[in-house]
Amino acid sequence: MPQADIAHSATGAAPSQSPWKFLRLHFEFARVGFVNTLAYRLRYYTGIVTYFIYVSVYYFIWKAIYEHSVSIEGFDFAHLLTYIGVGWIIRSLYFNNIDQDLAYQVIEGRLAMDLIKPVNIQFMYVARAAGEAVFRLALLTIPTGVVLFLVYPLRPPASWGNAAAFLVSVGFSFLIVAAINFAVGTFALRLQSILGLLRAKFFLLELFSGLLLPMTFFPHAVQKILDLMPFQYISYIPMLIYLGKLHGGGLARAMSIQVFWVAVLMAIGDGLWRWSTGKLIIQGG
Amino acid sequence: MKRHWRLVTRYFAQYAKVRLAYKADFIIAFFSSMAATVLGFGFALVLFTKIPRLQDWTFDEVMFLYGFSLIPLGFFNVVSWNLYDFSELYIIEGRFDRVLLRPVSTLFQVVFEKFRLESLQEVVTGALVVGICARRMRLEFGLGDLFWFVVTVACGAAIYMAVFLILTAVSFWFEDRVGIVPPVFNMLNFGRYPLTIYNVFIQFMLSWIIPFGFATFYPTTHFLGRSAFTLYFHLIPVVTAGFTVLAIVVWNRGVANYSSTGT
Repeated sequence: MPQADIAHSATGAAPSQSPWKFLRLHFEFARVGFVNTLAYRLRYYTGIVTYFIYVSVYYFIWKAIYEHSVSIEGFDFAHLLTYIGVGWIIRSLYFNNIDQDLAYQVIEGRLAMDLIKPVNIQFMYVARAAGEAVFRLALLTIPTGVVLFLVYPLRPPASWGNAAAFLVSVGFSFLIVAAINFAVGTFALRLQSILGLLRAKFFLLELFSGLLLPMTFFPHAVQKILDLMPFQYISYIPMLIYLGKLHGGGLARAMSIQVFWVAVLMAIGDGLWRWSTGKLIIQGG
Repeated sequence: MKRHWRLVTRYFAQYAKVRLAYKADFIIAFFSSMAATVLGFGFALVLFTKIPRLQDWTFDEVMFLYGFSLIPLGFFNVVSWNLYDFSELYIIEGRFDRVLLRPVSTLFQVVFEKFRLESLQEVVTGALVVGICARRMRLEFGLGDLFWFVVTVACGAAIYMAVFLILTAVSFWFEDRVGIVPPVFNMLNFGRYPLTIYNVFIQFMLSWIIPFGFATFYPTTHFLGRSAFTLYFHLIPVVTAGFTVLAIVVWNRGVANYSSTGT
């Protein structure tokens, strides 16, 4: 196995770049992400079916639960159904595969190509994922949304203001997920195969982001711990905004914490990347 | 038969050699996948802190069903790897030519050429959960029940195999560009909760079109002593046999229809 001895030049983005150049460059990465996904556009039709199945399973479970109670933890059935349905709709948007991409780069030995690019690798991956997200929005998120709103009695956002804040908040969700995926993906550089780890992360995010059920359903002690973690800012917080359960100071505070986590997680990802590329063996190449 | 058995052991030995080259890797894969499986229980665990029962199904019963569903799935996943990429690897890349040249059944080769041993973690996790729930409910497990347990697990794995074989065989007729496997794979989720919570349409579909109900729900009703589903329980071997035969017929038709891409 040829050993790549690459200094940290790869991690330090050219610092003197003008913001305009920076944007243009990353717009280009986003375009590449968009075009790459174009090749798989047919797969998105079944993606709609998959999301429909997920929501349907949970619809029936919750329906069975609400046969006996009007309201659980402050959610009546209509609220909860909207929480779950819209939660899955936005998941189709913020979801990305940065971790898997990184893992496959390592497995297939193409990582060297990333290392020679004089840009910040994390920004590059996030920009590419953003391009993909635009694609998903058109081919997956909107069609899934239309289908789910037609089939299930989902509610519209609480108000125009909430709708606007919700959209911004989902943007932050995307960045949080992207940063987590990048950080987890960097482990692929040290561990040869991380597909099991990725699977574990997948279920962890599903559960602790509030996608499957609102955080208030968790036992209090667990809630306290989860409050200190970034996960609930992915799904739970945007959905509270959508339902109008957060407004004014609470809303501003929640969204600032989202921004805080984006910054912290990206810094962690950057650190992990430096650490991982410190000693690196490229397989085969 | 004997020759086939020897071939399986050879295939497996080959796989084991490749896998053991990275021992630590295998152990990491096993335990991280197991963590993922355990997290899958999270939803039901959290939910039942708020509700006493799901319809008339208790916490232990729901967990028993979920745990049971993992056991046949785990066995199926050990040999299912080739089915997911079949169209890509065998049809488009043309590897199926090689399979046809050998004097052994094509189906046998495709299924046993690759393993995914870490999927046994699903069997382990499922069996543990079933064991714990059975204990908590004080279920009596006689020799007869044990026999049925083994039979229904085998039937469940065979049903999964049959369903995904039929879907895989579709790629003999047309390249599966749309990807029909993932949505059906996600339907496995339906089978993890009591069938009675769904509407009639889904109940019918999970019994007679994509019979996952016979792999998970109907077997568990027997062990949980719910006599309302006795008839369905006795139909398990029949449904399994029916779908297995159907899968083999479809597969053989597909093979007859195969034309190489020439690559």
